[in-house]
Amino acid sequence: MLWAVATIVFVGIRLVPGDPALAILGGPGSQASAEALAAVRAEYGLDQPVLVQYGAFLGRLVTGDFGESYVLRRPVADVIGAQIGATLALAAASLVVAWAIAIGLALVSTGRSRWARSIGGGIETVAAALPQFWLASILVIVFATGLGWLPAVADGTPAGVVLPVLTLAIPVAGFLAQIMRESMLDALAAPFSLAARSRGESETGLRLRHALRHAAVPGVELSAWAFGYLVSGAVVVETMFAMPGLGRTLLQAVTLRDVPLVTAVVLVVALAYLVVTFLADVAATLIDPRRRDAETGDRPAPTPRAEVAA
Amino acid sequence: MPSEPAGTTGARRILPIAAVLAVGVLALAGCTSGDAEPTTDASRTTLVYASGDAEPTCLDPHVGGNYPQALAATQFLESLVSRDEDGEIIPWLATGWEVSEDGLTWDLTLRDDVAFTDGTPFDAEAVKANIEHLQDPATGSSTGYLAAAKITEVEVVDDAHARFHLSAPDSALLESLSQPWLAIESPVGLSRGTDENCLAPIGTGPFAVQSWTPQDRIVFTRNDDYSSPPADAGHEGPAYLETIEWRFIPDPATRYAALEAGQVDVIDNAQPDAISRAGEASGIVELDAPRPGASNRIEFNGSKAPFDDERVREAFVRAVDPDAGIQALFFDTAERSYSPLSSVEPTSVGDADLFTVDPDEADALLDEAGWTDRDDDGVRTKGGVRLTAVFPISTNQSTAAEQSLFEQFAASAGEVGFDVQLQPLDLSSWYGALAAHEYDLVSAPYTKVGPDVLRIVYHSDSMTPAPSGYFANLAQVDDPEIDALLDEASASQDADARAAAYADVQERLLETYRLLPLYDQQNHFLLTADLEGVRAMPTVSTPTFLDARFTS
Repeated sequence: MLWAVATIVFVGIRLVPGDPALAILGGPGSQASAEALAAVRAEYGLDQPVLVQYGAFLGRLVTGDFGESYVLRRPVADVIGAQIGATLALAAASLVVAWAIAIGLALVSTGRSRWARSIGGGIETVAAALPQFWLASILVIVFATGLGWLPAVADGTPAGVVLPVLTLAIPVAGFLAQIMRESMLDALAAPFSLAARSRGESETGLRLRHALRHAAVPGVELSAWAFGYLVSGAVVVETMFAMPGLGRTLLQAVTLRDVPLVTAVVLVVALAYLVVTFLADVAATLIDPRRRDAETGDRPAPTPRAEVAA
Repeated sequence: MPSEPAGTTGARRILPIAAVLAVGVLALAGCTSGDAEPTTDASRTTLVYASGDAEPTCLDPHVGGNYPQALAATQFLESLVSRDEDGEIIPWLATGWEVSEDGLTWDLTLRDDVAFTDGTPFDAEAVKANIEHLQDPATGSSTGYLAAAKITEVEVVDDAHARFHLSAPDSALLESLSQPWLAIESPVGLSRGTDENCLAPIGTGPFAVQSWTPQDRIVFTRNDDYSSPPADAGHEGPAYLETIEWRFIPDPATRYAALEAGQVDVIDNAQPDAISRAGEASGIVELDAPRPGASNRIEFNGSKAPFDDERVREAFVRAVDPDAGIQALFFDTAERSYSPLSSVEPTSVGDADLFTVDPDEADALLDEAGWTDRDDDGVRTKGGVRLTAVFPISTNQSTAAEQSLFEQFAASAGEVGFDVQLQPLDLSSWYGALAAHEYDLVSAPYTKVGPDVLRIVYHSDSMTPAPSGYFANLAQVDDPEIDALLDEASASQDADARAAAYADVQERLLETYRLLPLYDQQNHFLLTADLEGVRAMPTVSTPTFLDARFTS
């Protein structure tokens, strides 16, 4: 799996025309001398046949050596090590915030009066469809330049990450809330809800203690996808808010054809995605009682969907 | 006077409202205290600069040598000479210079009381070490390397005298030395090796590199022992500011928003819409500093069809309307150029009459050149070949407005029968397309101090591809008359004769439609209005904060 990713990246980046040696030395207003180019080519092995480069590249990967960035002249592992924490923290914080918003929306709007449902559903649909680039611009215009409450670009303080996190979290929250509401409706109409009500459980208690747990399962399963979305969104958000991180590193590396760095970032993200998918599966199993004895096929019959009066 | 009491009453009425608003604003600010940069009064000693350029991968401008490096290096490195606003070379680390009769030997007198921020004295040995560093292939210098190409040796006469030996006369030597890409660094710093020196080069400038956190910021702190301002500086002694935080904010809208919100004090690469807005909004002022060297221009690849035919080049010029596009897309922030050289070069020569817009004339010229047939798409053909113009565009170097301008050109040229194929490419693909000769039109900036840029860009020597495949003469101008004039200008010791030769070169280039000049290389900075003393160096137009301070 990771080998396939590595190969695709290696081939893809070679297919684009252009000379990485020129990119390494180049820049507006500079023209590389032949001597400088030759030195760069020799230094990075760019004068070797492509297959030799590929073989050397795979060999190094197997031993955990990502090589040295063409452009930054530092070991790729160091570059990634310095940036990955920021991106993972950003993605994790966004996921938490997305969950908080989604749970809030689902609890408040599901099965309530028609207008509450309509507003909740509307917010979810719009949120899920928002492009990050646009959302970031609007948030900056409103909260930074307009109200002046929050910094327009990240400045290393907690306040500085609020807008980036919201930019990433809002669309994900929209998706999660849509999914959760569906299953929450199912749950509220399920026999266990009737049983709980008959025990005298309040509607709020029912939602919090029983329905939410039921509704969370598809959301948790979706969280792995959401994490992938957040990491790819980090490219946009880190660039727009001038935050350090893997997304911005990747963008710069792609632009400058920094093969070792691009490859390593893609591999690391692919690896992180695999890990998160596994974790989401585990979490879904823990939350959902039915999963634990899924082998027995002991699932309740699907409940016909019905709106339950509040 | 009746108006005065009325005014006073008005003021009384407004004051309480203003007070309430102020309290409200303070309350809001209180809620989020700690998230903004320090913004207090005249005690502000930290300036936050936000660059839209790519973050340098090495802070030593000897290595590679591009504009982002020059921007940063201006804060902590200094050159042997500088240039004043009239284009005259003025003293800096060198106080005087004398050239021999044959133009092959230059004697430079150096300041003898200056030290680098690591304590190493600045002397002739340091100058020698720097030129050798630039010329060492292992350094990987390109811009500085080319500019110093004619220097064969730096002889140390004594501590305060360095003698430059040249392989050929070079009237552009001092202009070349004034550039940040040939700035003088501590030889002890250089000896640490490229990797270490890249992180924090050591110079004699008003600030020193304190730290560099890649993808976040560079922090410059004041050099308290600073004593070597260029001859045209605003004051002697150390800078007023204590710290410069140098940030990288690639998105233009965010960069401007951060300036508006007071989070940063200076931004570069300001976009036309932001510049026009800033003019109206109070609190933000513009610093327009066109770069020296070549203007922004479209060049025709004259080495192959269709633009090897002067009539076809002229037809393209007649077909497109840069003025209309510049007005619409640049909000009047860019001034039309008619010269191969930047307007900051006193030797620039332009001729607006050569660049009138006349699509009918374009049609006639193309007919005359034999492109008489049209295919089903309305594209002209000649002997079955379409009138195609491949136009690779560097998305790193051409701004959004410029790319839109080129789209307009493609449409206008299409009306007279060109098939202009725009190809937006990333930097290395763009270099690749040029090296492979896969272009008919190209727009490539070239920044250099002085008219000698004409030699680099239009001398036939620059047409021969280097082993890398790259060449600076993208127009493929191979004109013995131009070569002769450029050689003459380069060897001339006489300023007037030199200017006359460069004027002839420019006229000939323009008359034979080798290029379509558009505007100066745009270089707009926006600053908070309470910052004073900021100016762009008259060398390569990078901002210097030596004289900068906040006013309350």
